[in-house]
Amino acid sequence: MNTFKLELRLALHSRLAAGALALLLALAALAVWSGLHAVAQQRAALDRVAAVQRDDVAAVAHKYRTGGEAGYAAYSTPHLTDHPPGPLAFAAFGQRDVQPFALRVRLLGLQAQLYESESINPELAAAGRFDYAFVLVYLAPLFVIALMHDLVAGEREAGRLRLVHALPVPGARLWRRRIALRFGLVLAALMLPFLGGAVSAGVGPGATLLVIGITGLYVAFWFGLAAAVAARVRTSAGGAAVLLAVFVVLTLVLPTLVNGAIGRAVPVSKGAELSLAQRQAVHTAWDRPKEETMTKFFRTHPEWRDTPPLTEKFQWKWYYAMHQAGDDAVAGDVQAYRAAMTAREQWTAHSGWLLPSVAVQVVLHRMAATDLKSQLTYLDRVAAFHQQLRGYFYPYIFNERPFGPREFARLPQWQRDDGAGSVALAGVAALGLLALLAAGVGVAALRRVRP
Amino acid sequence: MSAVALPVAAAARSFPALAWTVCRAEWRALRRSAVAVTAGLLLVVLTIAATLVSHEQMRAVEAERAHLQHEADEQWNAQPDRHPHRVVHYGHYIFRPVSPLAFFDFGVDPYTGHTLYLEGHRQNSANFSEAGQSSVLLRFGQLTPAFVVQTLAPLVIAFLAFGSVARERERGQLRLLVAQGLPGGALLAGKLASHAAVALLLAAPALAALAVIGALDAAVRWHALWMMAGYAAYVVLWALAAVLVSAAVPRARDALLALVGCWIVTVILLPRVLPDVAASQVPRPTRIETEVAIHKEVAALGDSHDPNDPHFAEFRRKVLAKYGVARVEDLPVNYGGLVIEEGERLTSELFVRHMHEEFGRQEAQAGIVGAAQLASPVLALRRLSNALAGSDRASHERFLLEGEAYRYRMVQALNRLHVNEVRYEGDRDQRIGSHFWRALPRFVHEPIGLSTIVQRHVRPALTVFALWLAGLVGGAWWLARRLERGAF
Repeated sequence: MNTFKLELRLALHSRLAAGALALLLALAALAVWSGLHAVAQQRAALDRVAAVQRDDVAAVAHKYRTGGEAGYAAYSTPHLTDHPPGPLAFAAFGQRDVQPFALRVRLLGLQAQLYESESINPELAAAGRFDYAFVLVYLAPLFVIALMHDLVAGEREAGRLRLVHALPVPGARLWRRRIALRFGLVLAALMLPFLGGAVSAGVGPGATLLVIGITGLYVAFWFGLAAAVAARVRTSAGGAAVLLAVFVVLTLVLPTLVNGAIGRAVPVSKGAELSLAQRQAVHTAWDRPKEETMTKFFRTHPEWRDTPPLTEKFQWKWYYAMHQAGDDAVAGDVQAYRAAMTAREQWTAHSGWLLPSVAVQVVLHRMAATDLKSQLTYLDRVAAFHQQLRGYFYPYIFNERPFGPREFARLPQWQRDDGAGSVALAGVAALGLLALLAAGVGVAALRRVRP
Repeated sequence: MSAVALPVAAAARSFPALAWTVCRAEWRALRRSAVAVTAGLLLVVLTIAATLVSHEQMRAVEAERAHLQHEADEQWNAQPDRHPHRVVHYGHYIFRPVSPLAFFDFGVDPYTGHTLYLEGHRQNSANFSEAGQSSVLLRFGQLTPAFVVQTLAPLVIAFLAFGSVARERERGQLRLLVAQGLPGGALLAGKLASHAAVALLLAAPALAALAVIGALDAAVRWHALWMMAGYAAYVVLWALAAVLVSAAVPRARDALLALVGCWIVTVILLPRVLPDVAASQVPRPTRIETEVAIHKEVAALGDSHDPNDPHFAEFRRKVLAKYGVARVEDLPVNYGGLVIEEGERLTSELFVRHMHEEFGRQEAQAGIVGAAQLASPVLALRRLSNALAGSDRASHERFLLEGEAYRYRMVQALNRLHVNEVRYEGDRDQRIGSHFWRALPRFVHEPIGLSTIVQRHVRPALTVFALWLAGLVGGAWWLARRLERGAF
């Protein structure tokens, strides 16, 4: 315990080390605060949208206080769906600032409504968010490098290396103790602000522990790597240079290369093509005989076949059949579009098996439900809700039943999901292996240090 | 460099000659250093790879958008005879074309939608941004020549230059040189010149790529030249800063730490923290809120379906007075079309006003980030680079505004057809020939003029660089005096 205290004093005595740790603590705290703030802003925006929505729906409901056409009610009622940030979103904000987190849908063709973008400031989005994940992935390694680059060379340059090796404690154990201490300090500087954020955001203990575990693994990876380099280089400046080069390659260069490769391998221009096709399917129907549309619609929805037939004038049942037929016509394109985006997500996860920086991002964003996958899940839920709305309105529209205030009051309501993500086990396992590997290499290298 | 390489009677030679000797000696030392050569070569290879890959990528994007635009135009032309109001609802798609320099710096391009669906009475968002369809990896940044020169080059420059003066001081050679009569100014000038040259050499592949595009495409020749100037100034700035830090601190190790610290703060940290500050300082409404606000304002303007609505009653009175008839049925034109035309005019005014308000808010946010340009030159360079590459926010806004203007012209042209070619009696059941809308003009995107870009982005950025340069030269002068006084 005494040696530990001594080492602690030694570590904190260095202005660089103490300053670095204080700075890391401050940056992590700032990132957590900033993340919490961003989440609060989105929640506030969702509240405002909900208020706006209540007004809108109340106005439409007012029109149906004495009853009316179901088709027109369906046409003029917007339904709000939302995707509120989950408890862990503050730590890994991910795509939430570029993806729409609320969408309003009407009973019209879904595919024309699903891809509206949120109004963002692209300049701010391009910079990326300053959240806990960013501090962990980009900044923490730099602090590890600052603390570790002169581990051995510093002693050598100060002329103490011989002395260190002459101690009764074997050299390797001394290095290990020093590294463990620094590891603990870095982890604490990262963890304390995160814990504060997790408590205030109501993150469950399991998820909190897992994030801390991931933090520990990622930091351990860098400590292992730094130890391996520090044991081999002659000068502390050389150690810093090599470690920074490794850092730049592992966190800046390779992920951007991987991203470029994925973008090339899996192009997704299908979104715009899908829109063009859907519009074509819906709008050509205006110029075709109505029976043609109905036949197409009945083929996939035979349950409405025996409802009262069409008349000469405009009828809502034809209008909605046309919109649904439009959606049905592009079902294949929708599948392809989804498949392309899912493939991008999967390839990213695969690249995390080799790149710890990517693994951390993938795991954290999956847990926080702020990645592309969670956005796609949200869109799926919107689609299911839209389906539910169709199921509710169609009996009134196709059987030409009146639509009054009672029917209006019973409209299906959007159910929020709990915003919890899932654990990308493969990513965690890969990170664990990489950390173990780096730590092993580091320990082995330190054993070979000679004065 | 080695002190022995310098002639003993240094005092007898002129300042430039001495500086040149120092410069050559430093070059020789760098050439001999395996680390320096490897780091430099890696950066150069990375720049070349980034240039080729992103050029290819942007060409694919361009081809894709051109293909989609062609498809949309074909669909527009293939419409059968229709009621013009059906065409208003059928709408049209436009795709934002790519600027020839966008390959160098994607800018905000991956974060903005490029697909605009233009229809009557509505203003749709620009959809299908790359970021919205990509994994979190995109947020790491993209491997463009701009990324390499802006982000990685300063680090390599710092590595090559951190020991330039400090190491000689550590070895005691500095004292020797000054004692031999080498002026501190000549020493620093030589070191600065050699590292500035190295920095330019590191940036050379990127600058060459710009030069090639500039030579091939006359439309962006000056853009490319300004960009070359901006990037060259930026890397030279880093080289000077690195040498001066090396001259100012006692040990090479401290110089490296200070420089890497500067790199972290100015290149990595500030560009990420400031947007967060800006976002919380200037709140912006969500798209749904804006949509509903517009909707409410439209409702307040008047309801064209309500015969007693004051605005449209007044409109009808004016129309009847203009043609000198008593009933809308007696008008020589289609009154229904006139009402829709008037409605479109009112809503479009609102759309444009709200767009400008939104752009104003974004500009205010950008202003908060931009205020830090002086502290973080990379922010200044990014503005210059994005603007010249045609991938900045202003270019995107221009596309949106032009798209809206085109939407308005297109819809109103169709409404004119409704007024003039469709009879009021039995309006809905009529169709007019497709040649009418086939003859309507197509969307043409005009990029922002160079003079505007120079005035709004290039000049401020170059001013920032000039201020830095002035500060660094002042620092060099002061350090040179300190070196001569032997205060080390």
